[in-house]
Amino acid sequence: MRNLNPSLKALSLLLLTLILAALRQSWLNLGVFALCGLLLLLSGVRPPTLLLAVLPLLLLGAGLFFSGYRFAAESALRQAAATTGSPSLPFKSSLLTQAESSRVSNGLILASRVFGFAGPGLLLALTTDRVRLVRSLGQSLRLPPLFTYGLLAAWGMFSQMKLEYARARVAFRARGIKVTPLSPRLLRPLLIKSVRWSEALAMAMESKGFEGHAPRSSWRPDPLRLPDWLFLGGCLLPAIGFLI
Amino acid sequence: MSQSDSTAAGAVTKRYVWKLRDVILMAILGLLFAIIYLAVFQGGLALSALLTPLGLANYAFEIVYGIWFMAATLAAYILQKPGAALLTEVLAAAIELLMGNSGGLTVVLTGIIQGLGAELGFALFRYKKWNLASMSLASVLSALFIFTYELWYLSYYLLSPVVLAGQLAVRLLSAILFSAVLCKLAGDALARTGVLKSYALGARQKAVHIYAEDDDQEVK
Repeated sequence: MRNLNPSLKALSLLLLTLILAALRQSWLNLGVFALCGLLLLLSGVRPPTLLLAVLPLLLLGAGLFFSGYRFAAESALRQAAATTGSPSLPFKSSLLTQAESSRVSNGLILASRVFGFAGPGLLLALTTDRVRLVRSLGQSLRLPPLFTYGLLAAWGMFSQMKLEYARARVAFRARGIKVTPLSPRLLRPLLIKSVRWSEALAMAMESKGFEGHAPRSSWRPDPLRLPDWLFLGGCLLPAIGFLI
Repeated sequence: MSQSDSTAAGAVTKRYVWKLRDVILMAILGLLFAIIYLAVFQGGLALSALLTPLGLANYAFEIVYGIWFMAATLAAYILQKPGAALLTEVLAAAIELLMGNSGGLTVVLTGIIQGLGAELGFALFRYKKWNLASMSLASVLSALFIFTYELWYLSYYLLSPVVLAGQLAVRLLSAILFSAVLCKLAGDALARTGVLKSYALGARQKAVHIYAEDDDQEVK
């Protein structure tokens, strides 16, 4: 997974997510999530990291399940009633009344979507080098250097911003002032400094001869190879569901 | 076309050309807001867990939904260029995804849709009005665009219309509060510090009055 072309990987996973959104099958959503989890483990992602990423999904999924269960639209319940017993409810529903089954099915469809959408997202986020992705956007998707290098420059300032934020928090604490993590007192100076940095950085890059629209060579080309296209094909496989 | 017309057209075209400092500023705003989005997402998650037994978990995010449009309206207000709202929103969404948002890859698609809504809001004023009215319209359109998309994408149409109407109302209010009112205040406050003098918003600001108490002696 880590060696695939980042741009095509992102595009393939986005297409997969859109196919899942159009198909609305709870079992397919959960299946894709399980497969993504397996690929993440095979790519060397540590199980604790994965569990930490899944925890918010459980909360989101539970929230959507109860919303779908308690506040289902009448039309949705009628539709669910017509299809109960079909794969939309992936377990034996003999213990539930017809109305209850419809509500559970409605909640499950809503909740499983969270997992179906998050799986491919995590697969991209946890197996992709950010800098390589931005470079690849320039090489494979022809994003102008003005934007790729602008984005890389801003990304390079992330550590500086983190340091500045931590410094400001400590400064307030030293003065005995309590500030929340998103307090305007903390964010305002950070915003002012960010604007200053962006100007200084742009000036520095241009003074060294950076030209945003000139063609550039790349020190590390990231070509599209057969595995990239095979991965795209694999991501498009669930589209068979449209034909069934 | 007279010479003055062509000069004015040339000035407008020049104003709309992207410069490196614009792109870096957009990317930095995107980065800053991606961090804020993630923090808000975690907070919303905690609130949503509390509201889950009532089946109202969705409202936890609706209250703060306007925060997700802030990058677009603030960048557009500072740069005052066509495309600034859309590009910044997409950049913020992409960075948010790479930082580990649980929303999945469609976070980027969400950014595009929200950005398009905001962009339309400013375009309806032909990119000539940069005030609370245009920012409010941009925020409201962002909220409407993304809500329409979620009806399909998150299957919200499966929920009762009463719950959906409530969600939309809260989202619209949140959008106006955060991405119009708060962003206008933040942009104006930034401009007053003088750091935006190279950008459209700062260039329009009046010079700082050093001797404000005595108009005769003021130095601009």
